[in-house]
Amino acid sequence: MSRLEAKKSSLCKSEPLTSERVRATLCVLKGIITSCYGPSGRLKQLHNGLGGYVCTTSQSSALLGNLSVTHPILKILTTSIQNHVSCFSDCGLFTAILCCNLIENIQRIGLTPTTVIKLNKQLLSLCTNYLKSQACGCRISVDFSSTQILLCLVRSILTSKPACMLTRKEVDHISALILKAFLLTIPENSEDRIILGKSIIVPLKGQRVIDSTVLPGILIEISEVQLMKILPIKKSSALRVALFHVSLSGDLSDTGEGTVVVSYGVSLENAILDQLLNLGRQLVSDHVDLVLCQKVIHPSLKQFLSRHHVIAIDRVGVTLMEPLTKVTGTHPIGSLGSISPSSYGSVKDLCSAKFGSKHFFHLIPHETTICSLLLCNRSDTAWDELKLTCQTALHVLQLTIKEPWVLLGGGCTETHLAAYIRHKTHNEPESILKDNGCTQMELQLIAEAFCSALESLAGSLEHDGGEILIDMKYGHFWSIQADSLSVVNWPDLLSQCGCGLYNSQEELSWSFLRSTHHPFAPQTCLPHEAVGSVSRLTVDCLTAKLSGLQVAVETANLILDLSYVIEDKN
Amino acid sequence: MAAAGSVKAALQVAEVLETIVSCCVGPDGRQVLYTKPTGEVLLSRDGGRLLEALHLQHPIARMIVACVSSHLKKTGDGAKTFIIFLCHLLRGLHEVTDKEKDSLISENIQTHGRHWKNCCQWKFISQALLTFQTQILDYIMDQYLSRHFLSIFSLSAKERTLCRSSLELLLEAYFCGRVGRNNRKFISQLMCDYFFKCMSCKSGVEVFELVDSCFAELNVGVTGLPVSDSRVIAGLVLQRDFSVYCPADGDIRIVIVTETIQPLLSASGSEFILSSEAQFQTSQFWIMERTKAIMKHLLSQNVKLLLSTVKQPDLVIYYAELNGISVVECLSSEVVSLIQRIIGLSSFVLPQSFSQCEISNTALVKFCKPLILRSKRYVHLGLISPCPFIPHCIVLCGPVQGLVEQHENALHGAFKMLRQLFKDLNLNYVAQANDQNDTSSPLIYKNTREGNQLPEIGNGSIQRLYQDTVVKNKDELEKTQTYLKAYSNLIVSNVELEACILTPKLTPTDTFQRNETPMCLSPEKNRVIDYNEPIIESNSTTNSTTENTRIEISYGSLQVTKIAGKGSMLPVRDKSVDSCTSQSYCSSSMPAGCVLPVGGNFEILLHYYLLNYAKKCQQSEQTMVSIIANALLGIPQILYKSKKGNSFPQIYIRALHALQSNQPVVSGQTGLESVTVKYQLLTSVLQCLAKILTIDLVINIKRQPVKVYDQDSEDEL
Repeated sequence: MSRLEAKKSSLCKSEPLTSERVRATLCVLKGIITSCYGPSGRLKQLHNGLGGYVCTTSQSSALLGNLSVTHPILKILTTSIQNHVSCFSDCGLFTAILCCNLIENIQRIGLTPTTVIKLNKQLLSLCTNYLKSQACGCRISVDFSSTQILLCLVRSILTSKPACMLTRKEVDHISALILKAFLLTIPENSEDRIILGKSIIVPLKGQRVIDSTVLPGILIEISEVQLMKILPIKKSSALRVALFHVSLSGDLSDTGEGTVVVSYGVSLENAILDQLLNLGRQLVSDHVDLVLCQKVIHPSLKQFLSRHHVIAIDRVGVTLMEPLTKVTGTHPIGSLGSISPSSYGSVKDLCSAKFGSKHFFHLIPHETTICSLLLCNRSDTAWDELKLTCQTALHVLQLTIKEPWVLLGGGCTETHLAAYIRHKTHNEPESILKDNGCTQMELQLIAEAFCSALESLAGSLEHDGGEILIDMKYGHFWSIQADSLSVVNWPDLLSQCGCGLYNSQEELSWSFLRSTHHPFAPQTCLPHEAVGSVSRLTVDCLTAKLSGLQVAVETANLILDLSYVIEDKN
Repeated sequence: MAAAGSVKAALQVAEVLETIVSCCVGPDGRQVLYTKPTGEVLLSRDGGRLLEALHLQHPIARMIVACVSSHLKKTGDGAKTFIIFLCHLLRGLHEVTDKEKDSLISENIQTHGRHWKNCCQWKFISQALLTFQTQILDYIMDQYLSRHFLSIFSLSAKERTLCRSSLELLLEAYFCGRVGRNNRKFISQLMCDYFFKCMSCKSGVEVFELVDSCFAELNVGVTGLPVSDSRVIAGLVLQRDFSVYCPADGDIRIVIVTETIQPLLSASGSEFILSSEAQFQTSQFWIMERTKAIMKHLLSQNVKLLLSTVKQPDLVIYYAELNGISVVECLSSEVVSLIQRIIGLSSFVLPQSFSQCEISNTALVKFCKPLILRSKRYVHLGLISPCPFIPHCIVLCGPVQGLVEQHENALHGAFKMLRQLFKDLNLNYVAQANDQNDTSSPLIYKNTREGNQLPEIGNGSIQRLYQDTVVKNKDELEKTQTYLKAYSNLIVSNVELEACILTPKLTPTDTFQRNETPMCLSPEKNRVIDYNEPIIESNSTTNSTTENTRIEISYGSLQVTKIAGKGSMLPVRDKSVDSCTSQSYCSSSMPAGCVLPVGGNFEILLHYYLLNYAKKCQQSEQTMVSIIANALLGIPQILYKSKKGNSFPQIYIRALHALQSNQPVVSGQTGLESVTVKYQLLTSVLQCLAKILTIDLVINIKRQPVKVYDQDSEDEL
């Protein structure tokens, strides 16, 4: 019997956000996250002080997953970000920084939570409506007939993760590979509904990044010894495949809850082995060329099969089962008895391949949507980071197919949006307030907090002490180096804006982002031809960013609304 | 260690709880974050959850929490109001006794003796509270308050229907106290959608019972998406993935199995003797063939989906796939029982032989397909429901699990609240008129109570007829009241007969006789004196029937103007309620669907009538009634604390004026709340207070109190 102990009373604290400790911890978290943001973000090394694995990263998923926060408010914040990342893969840091900024700014104002939440919600819907509208000046529709925007999107994701340790050339190579892998997962003859395939990332650590490649079909890793044993088969036509998900090791499966009494001299192992060999005979007579098994194949059966020139590969693992079913077109077999011929599938060809020090079987399909992305990087942690980044990029590409728009990256969307909201709240506050019982003054205060949260989010892209400017026509983000502030002639210093869409040769006027400037209406309706001429744009996924924006504001509202924290001390 | 249990100690505890709870009450309430010992972070505005999360140690506090949670189990609402009301009651009692204490001190009694004397006094008060709750409260509710009730149903000629706008008002007010400010409108809309999608025209209370008991299976939580992505989807979502999925069109039949389809070598409790290898092989072969045959048989019956509570062996999965049968495994028993309740399907028993071709235990479904929510796969099942519940599921999204759970709990609570609302509530109060009437009539007229449960045709006819008789009686009414009583009772009995003819479903009257034992049992003399008054009171109400209806009309016209102004439909006053008030001495139940506008309306009304009543009471009773009446005001005081335009005194005075001049009370807020729930809350608080007052000493012991076992269980030990 377990020991009974009286439950301790909980700890109840009122107005948690006003406590100095909470503010300090929030500030620390914000500092950690902000310093990671963007292409020039600083890396974080995570280790536990007892040796072992060290993780170098600047990604929110790796960072927040490894940080253990104790305060409940921080827990809410970090789990909210993690949940967002697990849904959309991208924009985790964006969400986290925006949320922290909002909490910090709004707290300083000291309005009642009721008003704050009401107005925040209004401003959020203003943002989302704008970003979804045709008039949006920071949104580009994706043209699927060319790879330009899609390549830009992948490249932006790769460059924003400095812990991958890629050179410019390697970034180009990997982004081309990712896009190729993604395109291979799109079925060629689609019906009414497209079902995307899958790209399997195959690890190959210690090789040069340039050696990474994409292959259609599936790579199954095998040992060199195994490879030697298997005789090369030469066959002109397609290979017949049998895929088993039941174990072929000869163990006795579930016999039920009762007892089974075996008489002396009766060997069940032999009986089952007989059954297995019968199965082998059936496979041979059905002209099967390749036997794949999720679990273990009995050595006798293996030997029997190889004697009859049937290749047997076991221990494929459950993760590969679904792609294998797709590639070969089989029904996974779950019976040791008679096999219906309809459960066999086929592959076009089979060859062995050697990449680095590893040996692979390469199943080449007739025509499927499964491909293998062989990913190389020099070190373990850099490979892990690169793998995460590739998964993010593939996911973002999938999201972009559903919603074919991208947002301008490099801080331009944030500054543009802030300029838009400033202008709206300044010029037509009545339409925002409607009749929700808030005053114009309150709206101005909250809008200022909201916009400066967005702007300082954009500002945190700059880590080298540079200064941020905003132009007064498009509301885009421009940065200059710290030491050149004394020079007056800005067009010479600024080459192009954050996203790369505009250059400084246009007749523009600038203002410091942090300084107060008169609200202006940023130019809406992005002309299509403006996009075509620029080859290197920085763009972000619309779906992920929009949801990140919503989650950030919702989470900030939630935290600002807290009146008590009750901690269970048991 | 022993501590004196006193009002003072209880008040201190209640005041601490009140400060915590009052932060979350009402539309301006805020959220509370709490952690579980497992480290989970949850959000809540639910008073019950807060009180439980505090893990209080003070014995009185624990008793209060226990009372609150038993109240919540019943109604699903009102934990915060419970604490506030209790606190105000204790405060009132404390103030009164403080005054008395001064006089006690002057009498110079020893402190110890004083304590015991106090305790006696408390016990007396606590008994008085219980009598108040069982008698006076119900009387006031029935006699005075009921004329203010609105009904959530719009009563048409034949049936009561629920209009969406009034349900929206009700739900919005409910969610005001339950979910965060930015989601309340959205969640109440979601609930409204869900409600109307699930209800068919003939469904009633049983749907609430079903949803209430199976709510966990009727919603799916998805974290990481904004709350606004939540939606209602048709059909049932099972929180499992397909083990085998074969797309199928046309007639899809399902079976539910609770055991593995593949026969096993030995069943539980039996022994299987293997004497040769050949025997083993043949038995394996037989198993295989049999599994194959069963799956073939299922296919021949057009079964396309197998729902299993257990994990099926590989063999079954393989043959299912070959035959194009989809399989879902490892379903929880709750899900299976829900499906069985909805479509009335019992689980499939493996046939011994295939001589019988028909499998009886199959059911037809509209569709079955995978549903992907945030890269997790679910099974989406379109059940065809013969029962009044049309299966729908709520997909609840939120950035964090804590928020999703909060919304889930709020929705569940809302169903509990509606379940209470849709039931008739019987009041203990039975009008005393029948004691003096001739002996035959009471038995008959009690049946009018059943009118609420009657099919509506009967009810309508009663009303119509009764209104006629009222008009007819009006002249005689002024002359002799006793005569009138007998006369109208006769008419009622006539009506009752008519109703019997119209609706043969009527249950025999004698069952009702047994159910209804009159509650006016107290033998005290002053009680009897009190009783005389209500009778006069009720008679005067009968006299002023015309006046009442006039008020009604004016109220109706006010509603019309409101409609024009706001563009939203306010619920039409329940006709049956009207008839109840005008009948004056035969109603002793609150019909289903009684609501009042939110914003402390109930409390102010009850306060007003209680004070009026108190004026006619004796000294001791008067203080108690007025304590209760004043304590009621605590809730609206908190609600209007931070309102800019209308502070509480303004609202209060406006309401009093309106009541005194017989005009309808206008509430500043839109939204409705259930009277039943409020009433139950009041009784629960009074019972809790009575319990607290009867305790005179709290003794701290070092070990668990020994449970008193039955003789049998001791034998077992």
